[in-house]
Amino acid sequence: MRSAHLRFGLALVLVLAVVVGACGKGGDDEEESGIKGDKLEIGAALSLTGSLAKEGALTKQGYQLCQEKVNERGGVRVGDKKVKLAITYSDDKSEPDTAARLIDNFNDDGVKLILGPYGSPSTEAAAAAVERNGQVMVDSSGADDNIFTKGYKTIFAVLSPATDYVAIIVEAIMKSANPKPKTVAFLSADDGFSQTAAEGGVEAAKKAGLEVVAEESFPEHTTDVSSALTKVRDEKPDLILGSVHVEEGIAIVKQSRELGVTPMGFGETVAPPTPDFREALGDAANGVVGSTQWTAQVKGQDEIFGTATDYAADYKKRFDADAEYHSAEGAAACLALVLAVEEAGSADSEKVRDALSGLDTESFFGPIKFDDTGKNVTKPMSAIQIQSGDVKTIYPEDQAEAKLQWPGTGG
Amino acid sequence: MSQFLQATVYGLLEGGLLALVAVGFSLVWGVMNIVNLAHGAFVITGAYIAWKLNTELGLDPYLGMLVSAAALFLAGYLVQRLLINQVVNAPIWMTLLLTFGLDLLIVQGLQLLFTADFRAIKTSWGTEGLALGDVRVPYGRLAGFGLAVAVTVALVWFMTRTRTGLAIRTTGMDRAAARLMGVNVRHVYALTFGLSAALAGMAGAILGSINTFSPSAAGGFTLQSFVIAVLGGLGNMWGALAGGILLGLVQAWGGQYLSGTLVNAIAFGVLVLVLIVRPAGLVGRPYYEARAEA
Amino acid sequence: MSTAAGRRRRRGAVAPTPAALVAGRSRSWWIGAAAIALGLLILALAPTYLLLESEQRTLASVFMFVVLAQGWNLIGGFAGYPSFGNVVFFGLGGYTTAVLMAKAGAGFWITLPAAAAVGLGFAVLMGIPILRLKGHYFAIATLGVAEGMREVVINTGGLTGGNRGITVPAVGEKATTSYPGNTGFYFYFLVLALIAVATVWAVSRSRFGYALRAISQDEDAAAAAGINTTRAKISAFALSGVLTALAGAIFAFQQVTIYPERLFAVDITVLMVVMAVLGGAGTVLGPVIGAVSLQYLSEWLRDNLPDYHTFVFGAIIVLAVLIVPMGIVNFTRDAWKRKRIAVFEAVRQYRL
Repeated sequence: MRSAHLRFGLALVLVLAVVVGACGKGGDDEEESGIKGDKLEIGAALSLTGSLAKEGALTKQGYQLCQEKVNERGGVRVGDKKVKLAITYSDDKSEPDTAARLIDNFNDDGVKLILGPYGSPSTEAAAAAVERNGQVMVDSSGADDNIFTKGYKTIFAVLSPATDYVAIIVEAIMKSANPKPKTVAFLSADDGFSQTAAEGGVEAAKKAGLEVVAEESFPEHTTDVSSALTKVRDEKPDLILGSVHVEEGIAIVKQSRELGVTPMGFGETVAPPTPDFREALGDAANGVVGSTQWTAQVKGQDEIFGTATDYAADYKKRFDADAEYHSAEGAAACLALVLAVEEAGSADSEKVRDALSGLDTESFFGPIKFDDTGKNVTKPMSAIQIQSGDVKTIYPEDQAEAKLQWPGTGG
Repeated sequence: MSQFLQATVYGLLEGGLLALVAVGFSLVWGVMNIVNLAHGAFVITGAYIAWKLNTELGLDPYLGMLVSAAALFLAGYLVQRLLINQVVNAPIWMTLLLTFGLDLLIVQGLQLLFTADFRAIKTSWGTEGLALGDVRVPYGRLAGFGLAVAVTVALVWFMTRTRTGLAIRTTGMDRAAARLMGVNVRHVYALTFGLSAALAGMAGAILGSINTFSPSAAGGFTLQSFVIAVLGGLGNMWGALAGGILLGLVQAWGGQYLSGTLVNAIAFGVLVLVLIVRPAGLVGRPYYEARAEA
Repeated sequence: MSTAAGRRRRRGAVAPTPAALVAGRSRSWWIGAAAIALGLLILALAPTYLLLESEQRTLASVFMFVVLAQGWNLIGGFAGYPSFGNVVFFGLGGYTTAVLMAKAGAGFWITLPAAAAVGLGFAVLMGIPILRLKGHYFAIATLGVAEGMREVVINTGGLTGGNRGITVPAVGEKATTSYPGNTGFYFYFLVLALIAVATVWAVSRSRFGYALRAISQDEDAAAAAGINTTRAKISAFALSGVLTALAGAIFAFQQVTIYPERLFAVDITVLMVVMAVLGGAGTVLGPVIGAVSLQYLSEWLRDNLPDYHTFVFGAIIVLAVLIVPMGIVNFTRDAWKRKRIAVFEAVRQYRL
């Protein structure tokens, strides 16, 4: 029996040696520039499975559309030659630690240019690895302000920060609502991004002279927000603002109906622009105000996607669905990276980093210009309202295709 | 006061829905000593079937649920007969692993088929409700609650008054004896599992008409089923209903008087507490002894 | 029925008989020792000569799962108590380290014994009431504790950062311990994995190990034979808790920012169980083989089947349960002894 144990010991050592040996392909022909043959290689770790699979898939579509448009145009100009854009996708399974591991994998494959994962936790984990490895990442969807307080030098985000998500709704409603709401209740999911967004909203509400009568939270991904609504009901708030994702956003409107909670209007982050929201709620969706990183009415254009309207048309053609903002964020991140490579005339990560920090351009996504922390501060968010089953941009005024319908619970 | 009453009514109705989800899970655990980690996946599958029937043919979810139930009965019967029966006598973590593998398969399969989009089955009357003073009683949830009660009554009748039901219970109490009495245990096990899956499918269809769902919601339903099955006592049909209602009420009240983010903590706290203090469940007796040293 | 159960028990046991212990002491001992030394040498030199950074990181996660699977093996495999909430120790260990480093400015090395102590203390506290439960009741109770603990961490945001996560000071001036990079974590996890394997090996040969096996087979009989079953079970759980908490502590430092959602994920528990069981629960090598093979399998699937990998992984688990329910180690040993590979032998044994 003892010798049997030892046989197993030998087996173990063999297993490990084989494993280590199999791994050790070690340092194949890496080219410093990040360009292999006629391809510019970019890595993207995305949530293709797990709890963020939906948003991950949308982000991927943005990256895909970008790659196709760039290559249709002939590719990326690097110095005096043109190379094809080639994005490699990996699945982080919606797990932050896996996202970080994938970034290391890319690094060892000589891929220094990274497009961000979906969601703040994965983005934050990826950012730490990118910064350590001397890669460069353009973040498409990690909005939590946390990411930008770490002093990272190689992370750039094309999107507006989390604090703007609810604040823009407050602004849009207070600008043109008549009668003006006087009291507001905040309902938030308990994840970091939603909490940060709600804090930004509370601040904006107070500044706008609204009285905050309640701030309630519930677990992320829940489909039952009845407890919070029941608590809020007796306060009779004029406005209910939800800092939420799709499922909680739908639940707020649905359960408000069930419970007879009737404010003048609802405002919610993330959920209202999605088709899921309108399909699940039908008529009940009408009047809900939402915030979005992008709409087809955004001003500005660029040489790859053209205007926002062009982007929307191309997206529709390619994916047979209405363009929404997650994919636009992805496309914009990819655009920023491509423009920076062209500006730098090289795929070297440091040169691209410098080019990104100096980038100042218009695009289908709005202005792209990064501050010292890597945030795209000049880009405003937009507010939309569901009107007769359609998403209409109502704010800022230069993009507005319709006026705010108020009170918003007429539907 | 109206706030308390409203929370109570809502919690009660929610509890009925929870019970509907959990009753099949409890049945399988009680009769076969199998914890089915794929139970939530069955629920979601039922929801997708009813949703598909609703969007394609305009079928009401209360009719669609019958199709869901039939389809899942068949699937459940086959899963038990072909897969789980093969490892029924192995140490219990085998069935845990097997059903966990099934859960991955089904959830991922649904995502490949239907994407990860959030869905809901729309009914014209779902969010309308009865107003009793300040207290609202939404029809959609009331109907779900009614169904939960009806299903429980029907199950109790089935288990105590029909030959098949008696065979299931006998097998659950003593498999060897049941076999000696001429019960075809393989068939009975598969029937039980099929029945459980059918109930899950039914619950899914109804939940789909009340809440939103996507493949990743499956795990949550399985966890809730754990809590309810333990609260109610395994394999006890009335217990599952009582356990569901109890959980619904505890969560509703907890949500009113404590922070709203604590509802999950409350559910698991109750679970652990009940297991420690009274592992047989709050209602009735379990089919087998839970404790080593009690 | 009863004979089938008897057959099963004999096969599941790895216990060397006293006679076997006395015999075969000489040469093979040296061969084994030399082989192990060689293996260690390869593992120690690999980062310098063989492995890319990302491969070191992948291997670090393999080693981490070796620790987790061995931790589960002690309570689930040896004592036969199928913990479905072992991740609670992982999360507690991770949060102990993260909170101490971020809030108290402690160095990483000081937090390790603290994490171990928290793992130990919590295992004992939770073990005393919960280890009285058996079978699925025990599984569900541990699951409930792990899920509940995650909610507690989410709801104590002042201390733990809640769902926003907590960031360990790992770089710059505020760093309390300099960040060791992928090579560093490769060695941290490697050392911990070796400790875990050595611990389980020692347990498997000790009186304590026999006591656990006895409990696993028939707890009443074990008690009747004079084993203090409560103490043995709680000790096994505590040992499991310590190993798992240490893995969590290193993981927290490696990740820099940690989130309750991930640190208390049911998925991690499930992986521990799958690895230990498919490798061979109650054996010393099984969890190692399980962790190595499954971790590589899942990486390979993810790289090669980006859309279908979870689907295929699920199917593989289902098949593996049907083909090697007693684990790869026991399967191989049987095949070796009988000189034939019986693919569906297990099904014949366990089916209805």
